[in-house]
Amino acid sequence: MTELRRMIASKQVSPVEVVRAHLDRIAALDGKLKSFITVLADAALAAARAAEAAVISGGTLGPLHGVPVGLKDLYCTKGVRTTGGSKILADWVPEEDATVVARLVGAGAIVLGKLNMHEFAYGPEGLNPHYGTPWNPWDAKTHRVCGGSSSGSGASVAAGICPGALGSDTGGSIRIPSSLCGLSGIKPTYGRVSRAGVLPLAWSMDHVGPMCRSAADCALMLAPMAGYDPRDPTTSVLPVADYAAALTGQLKGLRVGILRSFFLEGAAPAQRAAVEAAAKALAGQGASIEDVDLKTVNLAPAASHAVLAPEAYAYHEEWLKTRASEYGADVRERLRVGAFVSGAEYVKGQRLRTLLKNEVDAVLAKLDVLLAPTTPIEAPAVGQNEVRIGGQSLPVRASLIRFTRPFNLTGHPAASVPCGFTAEGLPMGLQIVGRPFDEATVLRVADAYQRVTDWHTRRPVAAA
Amino acid sequence: MEKLTVDTLRTLAKAQGLELSDGELAALLPLVEAGRNGLAAIRDIPLETEPASQFRIF
Repeated sequence: MTELRRMIASKQVSPVEVVRAHLDRIAALDGKLKSFITVLADAALAAARAAEAAVISGGTLGPLHGVPVGLKDLYCTKGVRTTGGSKILADWVPEEDATVVARLVGAGAIVLGKLNMHEFAYGPEGLNPHYGTPWNPWDAKTHRVCGGSSSGSGASVAAGICPGALGSDTGGSIRIPSSLCGLSGIKPTYGRVSRAGVLPLAWSMDHVGPMCRSAADCALMLAPMAGYDPRDPTTSVLPVADYAAALTGQLKGLRVGILRSFFLEGAAPAQRAAVEAAAKALAGQGASIEDVDLKTVNLAPAASHAVLAPEAYAYHEEWLKTRASEYGADVRERLRVGAFVSGAEYVKGQRLRTLLKNEVDAVLAKLDVLLAPTTPIEAPAVGQNEVRIGGQSLPVRASLIRFTRPFNLTGHPAASVPCGFTAEGLPMGLQIVGRPFDEATVLRVADAYQRVTDWHTRRPVAAA
Repeated sequence: MEKLTVDTLRTLAKAQGLELSDGELAALLPLVEAGRNGLAAIRDIPLETEPASQFRIF
């Protein structure tokens, strides 16, 4: 995105050429990938022609001028259907843009279309019975999941159909597909980016953020999105840092904690080795590394169940009573569980969040960032329900969200960047967690790591 | 804590306005039980711990 923006501004390439090239790739690849639910070809070309005219006239150009982006189909788009990946909202056309959509367009971005996802964002695999399950571009032969719920965002950016996309993250839905699709993505601090106009899964755990090819691209895309929004009372008035300026490549003096028990020790050998190697790479750039444990992290599954399930149920309650058959079987069942969580259990979950957040804050008082694998496993095949880690057979779903979910509960910013490939050629992700509202340091570490590694530059077979 | 059965779950569901078949209730039962048990097993939250979500009027 960064390079594309520079080439557009310097008239080396026209926004119309850029958009046409991406639409051609969608036509060529998306029949198999199924990353889009709605392609906005005419609108994108019209916006590209306007962007081209602005370049020619020498007007002021926004930071994303002429750069195409995709939107997970839970971002409201004025006049364009927003399905949430569901049959229930298959024909719903919002009257307003989500705040982040308006901000991206205001920064010059061109919306290519609406991206596929796990129905109503309630699943970490990225499955979809209504619009087809996106195909992970890193395996041309086996249909592997992209990770979810932002599976279309993962597939499209990995395959070069979109330079960048919006995801959303309630239990890991930006970081998991970033890990499984070889992308860079960041879940900002809760309250850093507006959720106004974004279909909720769980109001108190939903985060909005970008998924791109590099940390530098994430910085570019996040900047116009971030900041206070009167439409979302949970957004912070704290000033937004200059993310691009934070990418100094300097890590000298940085204090890094590597999350060992639960995280590193709960990952498959390849993921563990990749994160250990990433820590060494950061040490080689001047960071100090130390082992860290979070004692309260074992509370995360129970806390997440107590908070997420009833919040999701509350949003879907009426449809579950009147249109239950229109949900996919997995999401319908998951949503119904929320009906059986009591008020006292919900509050207990919120109190557990406080304990977990306080411990992460305390650890980050002495350290600048924490490292962990993003996922303990690589992309599983569609339909695979169990995975073996350390001789144990574990459910795929619980495994995928195990390392990301704690930071949805605490609200800390967390990124995922590619940190290697398995023997089968599947990408693995490094999770970088920072202090509240310190996305700049998270992005600085991610970018510095990408200056000395090339994992993020590799392309899948489907993108060749 | 008393173990849930399909019958008790049916009663709870009906109280919420959800009409579920025996098959649906049977499928839900282990998920609901797992959630309840996970929460019930955590008993040592310090009393002074406030919920993470708080009401703010401004």
